[in-house]
Amino acid sequence: MEILQYALRKLIGGLPLIIGVTLVSFALMVYFGPDQTYLLLGKNPTPEQILEVRQQLGYDQPFLQRYLGFLREIVTLDFGTASTGERVTELLAKTIPVSLILILPGFILGHVVGLLLALAAAYWRGRWLDKLIMAVAVTGMSVSFLIVIIGFQIVLSSSDGLDLFPVRGWNASSLASYLSYVTVPTLATMFVALGYETRFYRSIIVEEMSRDHVRTARAFGLPESRIFFRNILKNCLIPIITRIMFSIPQVAIGGALLIESYFGIPGIGKATYEAIITGDQPVLKAVVSLTAILFVLVVVLTDILYRAVDPRVTLK
Amino acid sequence: MDQAPTTLDPVQGSNIYANFVIVNAYDTLYSYKYLARPYQLKPNLAEDFPTISPDGLVYTFRLKKGVYFIDDPSFAGGHGREVVAEDFIYSIKRQFDPRNQPQGAWLWQGRIAGLEEWKAAGSDYDQPVSGLRAIDSHTLEIRLTRPYPQLVSTLAQGYAALVPREAVEKYGKGLGVRPVGSGPFRLVSYDTARVVMERNPNFRQEPVNLADEGYDPATQAFSGVEAIQGRSPPFVDRLEINFINEPSASWTSFTKGDEIQYTVLPIEQVERVLAGKQPVTLRPEYADKYHLYAGLEAGFIFTAFNMDFPDFGYNPDPERERRNKALRCAIIKGYDWQGRNESWYNGIGQIFPGIIVPASPEFDPDTPPASVTRDVAGARQLLRDNGWTPENLPTLVYGTTSGTTERLTFEQFRAWMRDIGFPREKIVQKTYANFGDISRAWKRNQLPLVTKGWGLDYPDAENTLQLFYGPNGSPGSNDANWKNPEFDRLYAQTSVMQPSEERTRLYRQMNQLVIDDCVAITGLSRTRIYLWHKDVIAVPDREILGGFWLKYADVLPAGTGAAASRVAPRAAPQPEQGA
Repeated sequence: MEILQYALRKLIGGLPLIIGVTLVSFALMVYFGPDQTYLLLGKNPTPEQILEVRQQLGYDQPFLQRYLGFLREIVTLDFGTASTGERVTELLAKTIPVSLILILPGFILGHVVGLLLALAAAYWRGRWLDKLIMAVAVTGMSVSFLIVIIGFQIVLSSSDGLDLFPVRGWNASSLASYLSYVTVPTLATMFVALGYETRFYRSIIVEEMSRDHVRTARAFGLPESRIFFRNILKNCLIPIITRIMFSIPQVAIGGALLIESYFGIPGIGKATYEAIITGDQPVLKAVVSLTAILFVLVVVLTDILYRAVDPRVTLK
Repeated sequence: MDQAPTTLDPVQGSNIYANFVIVNAYDTLYSYKYLARPYQLKPNLAEDFPTISPDGLVYTFRLKKGVYFIDDPSFAGGHGREVVAEDFIYSIKRQFDPRNQPQGAWLWQGRIAGLEEWKAAGSDYDQPVSGLRAIDSHTLEIRLTRPYPQLVSTLAQGYAALVPREAVEKYGKGLGVRPVGSGPFRLVSYDTARVVMERNPNFRQEPVNLADEGYDPATQAFSGVEAIQGRSPPFVDRLEINFINEPSASWTSFTKGDEIQYTVLPIEQVERVLAGKQPVTLRPEYADKYHLYAGLEAGFIFTAFNMDFPDFGYNPDPERERRNKALRCAIIKGYDWQGRNESWYNGIGQIFPGIIVPASPEFDPDTPPASVTRDVAGARQLLRDNGWTPENLPTLVYGTTSGTTERLTFEQFRAWMRDIGFPREKIVQKTYANFGDISRAWKRNQLPLVTKGWGLDYPDAENTLQLFYGPNGSPGSNDANWKNPEFDRLYAQTSVMQPSEERTRLYRQMNQLVIDDCVAITGLSRTRIYLWHKDVIAVPDREILGGFWLKYADVLPAGTGAAASRVAPRAAPQPEQGA
């Protein structure tokens, strides 16, 4: 009950955040975003036709009226029609699941493997294994994601390389097909993410290892494995949860633009990018508001998870 | 394809990317012959070319009978009904309904009688248009306000595709992702990454006659296209068009066999792939695997001076205006077309003077090349003779979209201008986030130098000459806002003339006026390099109508690699047909 009340309070408290984010984003779209009028006009437009298109797009309405319309769309979850003619809700329903199953393997593996490597590096801190892992991590962080994508494509997928996987495309109709299409994007994502995750996790683990309670536990002669899992890892869970949870909105809504573009995957990242460069406001409004809502949900869920892993945390 | 279409609704089919799909999903009254170059029109849904009244104002078309729209829930019983003349009228009306955000109205506004009035009365589809009449279910009459020699050409464009009213009323804007036409293919799926189409099983049987399609054995026999003689397109069951923006991904996908055709050879691959550029030939290892066709685009790139900017255009002071013309001419002399060609177009684009492009039948290869020949000394002399010094030269603002290529193009331009005496700080780049933003600047008459590419809507020099017609000034297509009374008079005169030697002569005269007035730095037509796998029978092209050639594409039964999986053959060609 306490948790439910807390969640409701936080969700209501998140409303100003959603309003603030949508207001700022909408102002940016309206005043600094691309003007779709000139993409929709024919080759030889008249001033009258320019006005007609602006009216059709609602550009001629006052800002406040347009923003209130945006809020109404959020409440009704009806964002209208994208410039392709497709309903925005249909577009999101089609693209978000694709992005999710595209990114999740890399996201999960990146964090799990990163954490394992960080544990190993921290445990053998200063030894050759630590140095090796950190060297690989720095390499992964240093190479451009673009280079990694192209490199993996050429090595694993092209006829000049191993030719093991499709170069691009997407088909998740069966597990085998899904695995064949998702493997290279996942490896590319992991290669880059591992560097950041490993370094981050290693630093918090090393910091925890040098705390007084760990030294005391050692002084009491507790086994190293018990100290590691009970005294160190458990206390590291708060930053770990924070990092993972706050990545979720990006994973769910943001997609992975580069991955989706280079691998020809029809996810939300590519759709959002297209909407940004063409000024397709119905799509942008949907993405912005959903991201804000998801962020509020994540904040609530993160606090509840904090409480689950650390009883000292109170939900107020 | 290197870009995805933004919509598949013909009412907004403004570019080759949209038309790549639209002309395969829908029918137009006319199309272009598959193999004839220069491009030649042919009847498609029309039985023949129209009969034209002696005054050139009334066109009568006969439509083929027995042509049906694809089966779709929008039709009674879900079965596609027959295509009739009223469908054409309805489709043209859509271009004059502001609710559709139409992009093709410019082709017919002020030309077809009654359309503006119909629009002004509220775009009520139940109300007639005086210039559009269905005499019977398969006879159509178009009445013009003045002769329009390009009318038939405009009816080959995606804008003029026949759309059934039932589908528009059922799907509304959703028609943009769900085409309902009578073309050779029907849509299976469409997203940001690709479009998948399958053969329209009810597509009319029209055996190919290669001679009628403009087949030239001397230059086209290599493609194996003789194998389609006597067979009715489309030849493949399934069509997958991938949208790949990234050249490296596109190249990797093509060489692996996932794509049958590659349209833009990345500049970094040129040395590796090509053995020669004049003519374009492949290295043996690629020639063994791929067919090659290098063809000039039906369009060009150019930079227009916006004459509304008094610094180098029109000026209230006649003396300054005279000096301004000398300044423009000097800039043109300083421009290095050959350098641009080498830097960005593999050195295989065709540089030509003026605005009548080589793909137009009225192109004159003998036009003196002085306006596209770099002459730095001459440019410096011209500036000196007209009192221009580094101190009094105006600042040139060069507008581009943002991007590395655009930045490099600008830097190149700045270097050329410095060669003729411009101080570095007087050549300034102004960047815009995207094409829509720079288009806004053009249309609002805000950019002094307008650099753009233009693709022909139809193979007639009128389509590029209108870019400099005075009444088409901003926000129209005359970004230069050039107003030359003699040019405008000749344009008005030729705009009602049928193709003839006299019209060609006048076109060329207009071209010379553009050159003489130094109103644009022009121009270059890029050479498109098409590569495709040898198990594919096709002559790819993407000019003017995008994918009009796809219904003729076939795959050899012994096709290997993924090409065969991407375009699956409907039926094995007969051995005696050369397959």
